[in-house]
Amino acid sequence: MAENKDKSTQKVTLASNDGHHIEVERCVAERSILIKNMLEDVGDEVVGNDAIPIPNVNDQVLRKVVEWCEKHKHDAPQTQEEENDNRKKTTEIEEWDQKFMQVDQEMLFEIILAANYLDIKALLDVGCKTVANMIKGKSPEEIRKTFNITNDFTAEEEEQIRRENEWAEDR
Amino acid sequence: MAPAAMSGLMPAQPVKDDIDNTWQYVQSGITRIMTNLQGGVDMGTYMGIYTAVHNFCTSQKAVGISAVSNISTGQSHRGAHLLGEDLYKKLTEYLTAHLKQLVVESRAHTDEALLAFYIREWHRYTVAAKYIHHLFRYLNRHWVKREMDEGKKQVYDVYTLHLVRWRDVLFAEVSGKVMDAVLKLVEKQRNGETIEYNQIKQVVDSFVSLGLDEGDSTKITLDVYRFHFERPFLDATKAFYQNESKQFVAENSVVEYMKKAEARLDEEEERVKMYLHPDIGIPLKKACNQVLIAEHSAILRDEFQVLLDNDREEDMARMYSLLSRIPDGLEPLRAKFEAHVRKAGLAAVAKVASDVDKLEPKVYVDALLEIHTQYQGLVKRAFTDEPEFTRSLDNACREFVNRNDVCKSGTNKSPELLAKYTDILLRKSSTGVEEAELENTLTQIMTVFKYIEDKDVFQKYYARMLARRLVHSNSSSDDAETSMISKLKEACGFEYTNKLQRMFQDMQISKDLNAGFKEHVAALSGPKGLDSSYSILGTGFWPLTAPNTTFDPPAEIDKDCQLFSRFYRNKHEGRKLTWLWQLCKGEVKATYIKNAKMPYTFQVSIYQMAVLLLFNEKDKITYEEIASTTQLNNEALDPSLNILLKAKVLNVSPEGAKPGPNATFGLNYDFKNKKFRVNLNVGMKSETKQEEAETNKTIEEDRKLLLQSAIVRIMKARKRMKHQQLVSETINQIRQRFVPKVSDIKKCIEILLDKEYLERLDDDDLGYLA
Repeated sequence: MAENKDKSTQKVTLASNDGHHIEVERCVAERSILIKNMLEDVGDEVVGNDAIPIPNVNDQVLRKVVEWCEKHKHDAPQTQEEENDNRKKTTEIEEWDQKFMQVDQEMLFEIILAANYLDIKALLDVGCKTVANMIKGKSPEEIRKTFNITNDFTAEEEEQIRRENEWAEDR
Repeated sequence: MAPAAMSGLMPAQPVKDDIDNTWQYVQSGITRIMTNLQGGVDMGTYMGIYTAVHNFCTSQKAVGISAVSNISTGQSHRGAHLLGEDLYKKLTEYLTAHLKQLVVESRAHTDEALLAFYIREWHRYTVAAKYIHHLFRYLNRHWVKREMDEGKKQVYDVYTLHLVRWRDVLFAEVSGKVMDAVLKLVEKQRNGETIEYNQIKQVVDSFVSLGLDEGDSTKITLDVYRFHFERPFLDATKAFYQNESKQFVAENSVVEYMKKAEARLDEEEERVKMYLHPDIGIPLKKACNQVLIAEHSAILRDEFQVLLDNDREEDMARMYSLLSRIPDGLEPLRAKFEAHVRKAGLAAVAKVASDVDKLEPKVYVDALLEIHTQYQGLVKRAFTDEPEFTRSLDNACREFVNRNDVCKSGTNKSPELLAKYTDILLRKSSTGVEEAELENTLTQIMTVFKYIEDKDVFQKYYARMLARRLVHSNSSSDDAETSMISKLKEACGFEYTNKLQRMFQDMQISKDLNAGFKEHVAALSGPKGLDSSYSILGTGFWPLTAPNTTFDPPAEIDKDCQLFSRFYRNKHEGRKLTWLWQLCKGEVKATYIKNAKMPYTFQVSIYQMAVLLLFNEKDKITYEEIASTTQLNNEALDPSLNILLKAKVLNVSPEGAKPGPNATFGLNYDFKNKKFRVNLNVGMKSETKQEEAETNKTIEEDRKLLLQSAIVRIMKARKRMKHQQLVSETINQIRQRFVPKVSDIKKCIEILLDKEYLERLDDDDLGYLA
């Protein structure tokens, strides 16, 4: 037990792909399953000597991700069942997380990609729920506008899709 | 929305959408892990491989944002196309090639070296598999998960893929040889050599790990292990012990063999704990039981008789524990045991039964008990008190208790002798028995009683003797009597002891009654009467009959009796008193004898008293005079006179004459005896003989009544029954008392039909008539 505690407060350094270093507690870094597995695999003698390279994330995004991990470092890991239940049912987001996600769209998607890459499931969920809430209640045209998508359907294609999904429309 | 471009800080990443380029990069990394893990992996390489896999899987332009959101919800089965199949295939090919290489290398090794090789490579491979599993986690999370969710059978997570390849490439090729090496090693150990058994344990673990559940990769089945390890292991074990035991039996005694087998069985159990999978425990035990015990059970059983004959308790216990391990192993032993105990019982009885008429009850019962005690001890010590053996013991005891040499002279002999022994124990005697010891002996009596089939015979004799003890008040202790009755009640129920208890009560009531009578007499103003005491015995409960002779009691007695009769009738109107003269006794003082320092006191029966009192009037009296005054018939009178003559209280003339007509009797004034109290009230041999005959006769009659009442009870409950059913039901009900003959039951049914308790109906049915 004591050893575990030492390990979790041990400092590790993360190196973003643009050369910046961020020092965090090990337990914060280990919100990422990728980092957690790696630290276990490479062994204690390697940990702490070098910075952990994060080749796919830049400093700005990494700091954002670390901020989230700091906040959530004491969350209990989700069990498989909880995960299946919660994720399907709600798009509700905690207040802190909502505020955290109030960033520009590009940053939002960068966070989602980083969470997916680093294997931080809870953060990935929050990100995706945020996007889902942006889509909710909008017409296709509004959605296109929101995400700056060009409509590449022909008129016929669009008609066909509408017919196929007629049953789902709100009337 | 593509990931950010690579910076110069990282090892050069491959071109992300080029499989060959990517794989080359990945392969160089995992080869290091696979072959040189001890050299360590730096974080750069680790992150590099993970990133390469990730980048490859997210490379295609079509994947974009929509792919990401689809993946994260993990629900859509259509839609985004996930990349990864190429990587998965490359990895599979890589593993196959690696393992094929190992197969080639393995050919250089045999036996223990092969084991060492297998274990080393297995260890290296599985450790590497865990790393690679983590490095390919992105593939696992997305492409593999999708494939499995869609139900593809041949796709596994990366770790499982490693195991599957090992199983299909290397294991399929070398497992036979590995197993041969394992079995050789085990045989070495069975032959007493010390081996490196940890190796076997690791092989077992490896085989177990390869049992993958095709339906659910998170589960493990033991199929692979069972087929490739357990099966050959059991076969080898059987062959080894078949061989060994055959040889051992040929060269050693059976007892030696049992010790050997016992040791081997323990050893195998220990082996399971030491290095085998617990799953093999039961089948291995079964296999060993089969070859070490079942296949030699015939010679074991043959030896059992020898062990029994020689009281080899320890070896019998050993045989019991061995044969109890195989199905139906003990039944033949039980049969032999039962026959042996029966024989021993019969022999013990035969030894004491040379002269049945003079057979002491104690000797007989002790002979029975000794055998029972001996073999009950054996059952306890050698056969762990197993219920079936106890039953065999009971069967044997029941046989020799009820059917032995003594019983040949009369089937009622066993219960009779047992009852007599009980009587001896409960009667007042000069040889005082300690209370605890008496209680102990009574318990032993009950042991024999349990086996007695004709419990009704015992009851008859017991009641008769209890009556005698009570009437003559020579019971050794009320506590012992009560204890015995409650024991019988416990064994046979309330009905069985009902009469016995009533007899006991009668005596208690009589005590109070006598006290009342004494007060009553004292209150009367008149000449002092006799110092008398009366017992009122309920007619139905006592096994007593009215005297078979007429009798005019002497005037003194008669007066007191009248007084008591009036007193009693006053208390209990309408009750009829019958005098059982033959049971009455009293004391007379002989003041006429010359040269006596002190007058003698004679303890006499009332018949003797009546005779002696006649001499208060006259010195010489003829037989005819005595007979007419006392009104006694010669059956009652002659024995009484005989005792008086024998004791020389009376003289007869002509000298040496037997009591009978023409004999004249006179008092012997020169009577001498060492004691001042002389007991003349002794039963005659012929009297007890007669009693026995009577008892036996009443038994037959009582049985008929018992049978009839049982039949009526059954029919009253069932109303209608088949003849055959009724017979067997009756046997069931009666068996606790005695073993009824079918012919007797049929006779009783006939009687009841005649008496119209029952009626004949169609179809061989009987009906109950209320």
